[in-house]
Amino acid sequence: MAGFMLGKGDIMDLSFLKVLMPMLLSGLKITLEVSLSGIFFGFLIGCLSGFALQCKNKIAKAITNVYLWIIRGTPLIVQALYVYFVIPKIIGQDIQSNIAGIIVISLNSGAFIAEIVRGSLEGIDPGQKEAGLSLGLTPFQTLWHIVLPPAFRSMLPALFNQFIITVKDTAILSVIVVNEITKQIQNYAAVTFNTIEAYSAGAIFYLAIISILIVIQKQIERRVKA
Amino acid sequence: MTSLIKVENLSKNFGDLEVLKHINIEVAEGEVICIIGPSGSGKSTLLRCINQLETQSGGNIYYTDKNICDKNNDLRKYREEVGMVFQRFNLFPMKSVLKNIMLAPVLTKKKSKHEAEQKAIELFGKVGLANKVNVMPSTLSGGQQQRVAIARALAMEPKALLFDEPTSALDPELVGDVLTVMRQLAKDGMTMIVVTHEMQFARNVCDRVIFMDEGYIVEEGNPEEIFTNPKNQRTKTFLSRIVG
Repeated sequence: MAGFMLGKGDIMDLSFLKVLMPMLLSGLKITLEVSLSGIFFGFLIGCLSGFALQCKNKIAKAITNVYLWIIRGTPLIVQALYVYFVIPKIIGQDIQSNIAGIIVISLNSGAFIAEIVRGSLEGIDPGQKEAGLSLGLTPFQTLWHIVLPPAFRSMLPALFNQFIITVKDTAILSVIVVNEITKQIQNYAAVTFNTIEAYSAGAIFYLAIISILIVIQKQIERRVKA
Repeated sequence: MTSLIKVENLSKNFGDLEVLKHINIEVAEGEVICIIGPSGSGKSTLLRCINQLETQSGGNIYYTDKNICDKNNDLRKYREEVGMVFQRFNLFPMKSVLKNIMLAPVLTKKKSKHEAEQKAIELFGKVGLANKVNVMPSTLSGGQQQRVAIARALAMEPKALLFDEPTSALDPELVGDVLTVMRQLAKDGMTMIVVTHEMQFARNVCDRVIFMDEGYIVEEGNPEEIFTNPKNQRTKTFLSRIVG
């Protein structure tokens, strides 16, 4: 049996992984589901908000600013508790924990993606838009064919970075019983009292997942720069 | 003769700064007009107003007797007919130069891809870049990029072209190729308004030169007259500084 040293001479037995690993993997599935859906809807929200910040419509701008203010001004954990416990009381209907998790992650990442979108749009030379308009394109055609492609390209690294943050943020959803990785670790620790093994293995598991994502991100950055 | 473009009593403020003051210009079809003058005299702003990239503070601009400053005017349609070439080329960096040229005709004139491509290739020949059809803009020199930009504007088959200091961002040895293309356009009868610091070009190619300073049209007339015998003191000073 493989093992590693822990403290004075005792060999730690890795057989606990037989039970924990399947739990981590099923947690990973939930983590990825929630993160991917969250970043997807967050991207939609972020694009809408990013455009709203750029447009001349004062009402759209005001609504967006209030949204950004609330999301940035409150901790993610409070947002999660609010969506899971308070919103159901208001609308008179329970929200499934995974759904609540996706809502929270979407709203939260959306606020940060809004800034990414706004930044990329502002980074596009205004001459590009002028060239499009001067060729007789409509404002929408100019946005779609001329402004968005380079804007999207330049926002990709930041977007993927936000995705990595989101994957880690989902850990907080353990407080609203989303069975993602952290919740699985807690469950294992609560039943077996093997806290050292549970949290160490859990941390290493996160590290491995995030490392893979970081490698992907480096690839994306290289391609965007090329 | 009725004018193609007519600027009437145009003024433009940026905040408290008056950039254009009661500008009147008439441009006949086929006429080539050069606008010269010191930096900050309002030349570029005037051109941008004519293309409505800037909205005027007062006055009107007519294109074939249609008031394009009117809110109900179809600006998009107008811009199909009056194209613009920018100082910094403004090519679309993620598209090949061919796609740069084909984009607008396909989108706005509903031309087939094949038709637009044929036209684009013909235009590449016209601006002397027949062997550069499929490259990306970033691989071209400034002078080549500007010629692509001219071809892109021509692809819309415009009635008139506005040039906003088309050679000012170029290395001196690249200016000539761009001016050659513009000279040919003038010969072909294209109506052109050119904001420029290229005095030789203004003198040799233009039908009429307009000298602007501090937001006013100070003097206008045929190039020989302006360059050899300017009436206004400010024109004299400007020309003596530039032509030497």
